Amino acid sequence: MDAPMLAATRPDQPHTTTPHDATRRHNGNLPRHGPITSLHSAWMSRIELRDLAKSFGDLAIVDALSTDISSGSFVSVIGPSGCGKTTLLRVIAGLEPASSGRITVDGDSPRAARSHKRVAMVPQQPGLLPWRTVYENARLLLDVNRRANPPEALEPTPLLQEVGLGDFLNAYPHELSGGMQQRVALVRALTLGAPLLVMDEPFAALDEITRSEMRSILNRLVEGRSVTVLFVTHSLSEAVALSDRVLVSSPRPTSIVADIDIDLPRPRATDVEDDPRFVELCAVVRHALHQGMQP
Amino acid sequence: MSKRLLAPFVGIVGFLALWEALVRVGDVRPFVLRAPSRIVAYLADHFGDYAGAAWVTAHHALIGSLIGLLVAVIIGSAMAASRFAEQAAQPVLTLLQVTPFVAYIASVVLWLGSGTRPAVFIVALVSMPAFAFAAADGMRGADPAARELLASVDASRREVLWRLRLPSAIPSLFTTARYNVGLALIASYLVEGGNFANEGLGAIGKRAAALNEGDALWGAIFSMAILGTIALLMLSLLQRLVMGWHPSQRTRAS
Repeated sequence: MDAPMLAATRPDQPHTTTPHDATRRHNGNLPRHGPITSLHSAWMSRIELRDLAKSFGDLAIVDALSTDISSGSFVSVIGPSGCGKTTLLRVIAGLEPASSGRITVDGDSPRAARSHKRVAMVPQQPGLLPWRTVYENARLLLDVNRRANPPEALEPTPLLQEVGLGDFLNAYPHELSGGMQQRVALVRALTLGAPLLVMDEPFAALDEITRSEMRSILNRLVEGRSVTVLFVTHSLSEAVALSDRVLVSSPRPTSIVADIDIDLPRPRATDVEDDPRFVELCAVVRHALHQGMQP
Repeated sequence: MSKRLLAPFVGIVGFLALWEALVRVGDVRPFVLRAPSRIVAYLADHFGDYAGAAWVTAHHALIGSLIGLLVAVIIGSAMAASRFAEQAAQPVLTLLQVTPFVAYIASVVLWLGSGTRPAVFIVALVSMPAFAFAAADGMRGADPAARELLASVDASRREVLWRLRLPSAIPSLFTTARYNVGLALIASYLVEGGNFANEGLGAIGKRAAALNEGDALWGAIFSMAILGTIALLMLSLLQRLVMGWHPSQRTRAS
């Protein structure tokens, strides 16, 4: 199912205009005709945010946020802790209504996307159920609200094997390390075959070595699939290593102070962090973050 | 015998030996305190009577506890789901817990008739509040990340209850069950002493107390202790079976 899309977005395709765009896996220039269009809408997700605002009582959490997230791109939102990034994710995932403004996920409301299981979440804590085995945990999202299971849903076993958990299908969560637990959480989200993956600092609780391992696993997983990823983090290097685009948010209320394209080649090399361009981009993001912190 | 069974055995035998020694060395008169050896001998002589009575008491305690648990899970789910339900239920449950149920056994017997029904009813009634608090606490303590996750795919309330909240309550329900074993057995015993059925350890105990038959009374007390021990043992086995995933059930490396 991926084959025609991958072909359409190969860097040597004529419709790609700039070398920068060419490095994107999927961009806004996808040919919008024929079977590819339907594949596109079935598999990827374009998110539009217009003047989005969210407040709890008098406390403004998100303010006047507008952006477009193109289908199949990996977009990180980076900002100081407590700036409302998680709230933004929850609004986009349809778990929290917006106070004002408009959001569409593939033209639908987030609420509708959620009820059709088109948004897959990876929370900060893995949230594995201790009484379920690795395999059973991986298929938890398929076991509830079954009527909404999309035809794109995937069997967990091959995915678990892909992330190196093939020998742990019948293990219980307490037998796994933190990194392994988070890999199960990742697989659990991917089983839905959902076009949108939202991840809320999923690697924040892991040690540095495990984090970098998780980065390459995540890169590998999403590079082989057509999925739009919205990734919230407060780690500069994580944002740059994973993303096609980094949105730098201000302290609360969240708004976007910088929108930085990450033109590192895909597929990302495991040693991408040694790339001089990586270091440059980190500096750019760091600079934008500092600018955003100024009153 | 494995180490896990040996330790409690040593504890009980040690306790009984100390008791025996106290009675013999201190020359305690039998109507004050009997020696365990004498009670055990009496029990052995009347094994059939006591086994039959213990079976009746166990039956009352088990059926009553199961009904209490079932009602408690329903009430506990409502408490976990709604603050209002919780605040409404809390004083009633506390009231049930603090009322000396011995005082209203006679009324319940008058209402439900003699025999099994009042025994099962009282056991269910007294074991329910602790189970309800445990169920509500366990369900409310369900992993927030897992709750968020189930919400993200629009899982129904029933699915959240069944897949997340109920299993989350299992550990606290087992803890409460350990405490409720004693309560249920004592409730059965006391009702059997007043339900005119002349069945169960409570009936033997009541009659023995009335007729000043110390051996028979102590036989009933010992039988209750044995029953409680067996119940706790079975509860542990069940817990091991149901909660193999739980940290408390992990075997320590030896």
